[in-house]
Amino acid sequence: MDLILQPVMVDTGEEGEGCLVFAEGWLVAVLVRLSDSHEDESGYWFLEKGFGRLDRPDPPSFSDLPTAEQWIKEHLEIRRPPRWPGDPGEA
Amino acid sequence: MSASLNISPEHRRLIAKLESIGTLTAGEHDALTALPLRVRQIAEDTDIVREGDAPSDCCLLVEGFLCRYKMLPDGGRQILAIHTAGDIPDLQSLQLKVMDHSLGTLTPCKVAFIGHAALQEITRNYPGVAALFWRDTLIDAAIFREWLTGVGRRTAHQRIAHLFCEIHIRLKAVGLANGDGFDLPITQAELADSLGLSTVHVNRVLQDLRRGGLIQSRGKYLAVMDWRALEEVAGFDPRYLHVR
Repeated sequence: MDLILQPVMVDTGEEGEGCLVFAEGWLVAVLVRLSDSHEDESGYWFLEKGFGRLDRPDPPSFSDLPTAEQWIKEHLEIRRPPRWPGDPGEA
Repeated sequence: MSASLNISPEHRRLIAKLESIGTLTAGEHDALTALPLRVRQIAEDTDIVREGDAPSDCCLLVEGFLCRYKMLPDGGRQILAIHTAGDIPDLQSLQLKVMDHSLGTLTPCKVAFIGHAALQEITRNYPGVAALFWRDTLIDAAIFREWLTGVGRRTAHQRIAHLFCEIHIRLKAVGLANGDGFDLPITQAELADSLGLSTVHVNRVLQDLRRGGLIQSRGKYLAVMDWRALEEVAGFDPRYLHVR
C-alpha cells in the first residue's frame, strides 16, 4: 500500500508544520511536527488525528516520517475481526 | 485543646479531613484519635491494592498523591481519581469486598492503614462518624460526576484548569495550600491519563496557560497567577466538593 503525504499547515497553537496522509485516495491521518516545547519528543511527528482504523484515544508520536508511515501502513493492513455473529470483518 | 498536642500527625490529618466536610463531637474526636493506625512510607508508582484484591485494611493518605485507576487490555491506563492528603480512597472496601479498580501512588506517599475491624467498630459505636464516612463517599461520587462531565464534554483547556481548581480547594480544606498555589508533583503523562488527553495536548495546554499568565510552574510547585481567569476557563463551581 502506498501512502501520499501532502504538506499542510495545522492550527494547533504550535509552529503548524504538518501533513495529510492519504492511502488509496482516502484521508487516513493528519500528522503534526512537535515544537521544541515537547522536550523528549520535540521534532517528533504526532498523530494529531487518525481516521477509521487509525483513530486512537491516546495517539502516538513518531521520531521521523518513515517510522510514522510504517506504523500507519501496519495498522491499515490489520484485518478487523468480526464484531458480531455474521459480521464479515474487514479484509 | 491541650490534649490535641498528643495526637499523632496521621490522626490529625484524618480529623482535619473529616472536619472539613462536617462536625465531630468531643467523643467522636477522641474515638478517632484512638484508632489504631499502621503508618508506612511508600515509593512513587507503587500499587497499594490491585483490582481483584480483597483488602482487610483501608488506607488513609497522610502525605503525597494517590490515584485510583483501571488498566485496559492494550496497556492503556485510565486514572479515575486523584487523591489528596486526608482521603481514604479505598473506604469502599469496607462494604464492597473485592476491589473493582486499583489504587497506587503517584508520588512518594505516607499512608496509614486502618483495619476494617477497627473501622467497623467505630462506625457501630459512633453513628456520627459513620455519617461522615458516608458523606465522604457521596462527595467522592460527586467528584466522579464532575470528572465524567469533563472527560465527556469539556475541552482540554477546561479539563486541566478544572482539575487545578479542584485540587487547590481540596488541599486548602486540609491546610495544604495557600492562596498562591500548591505542590503538584504529578507528571504530564499522569495528567493525560486522568483527563483522557494525550501528553502532547496536556503540554500544549500548560504552555498556553503559562503564556496567558494564568499559571507558573516552579519545579513541583504550581503557582496560580490569576485564579479568576483559571476558574473562568474551567467554568469551575466548587459546590460539588461540599467543603464547609
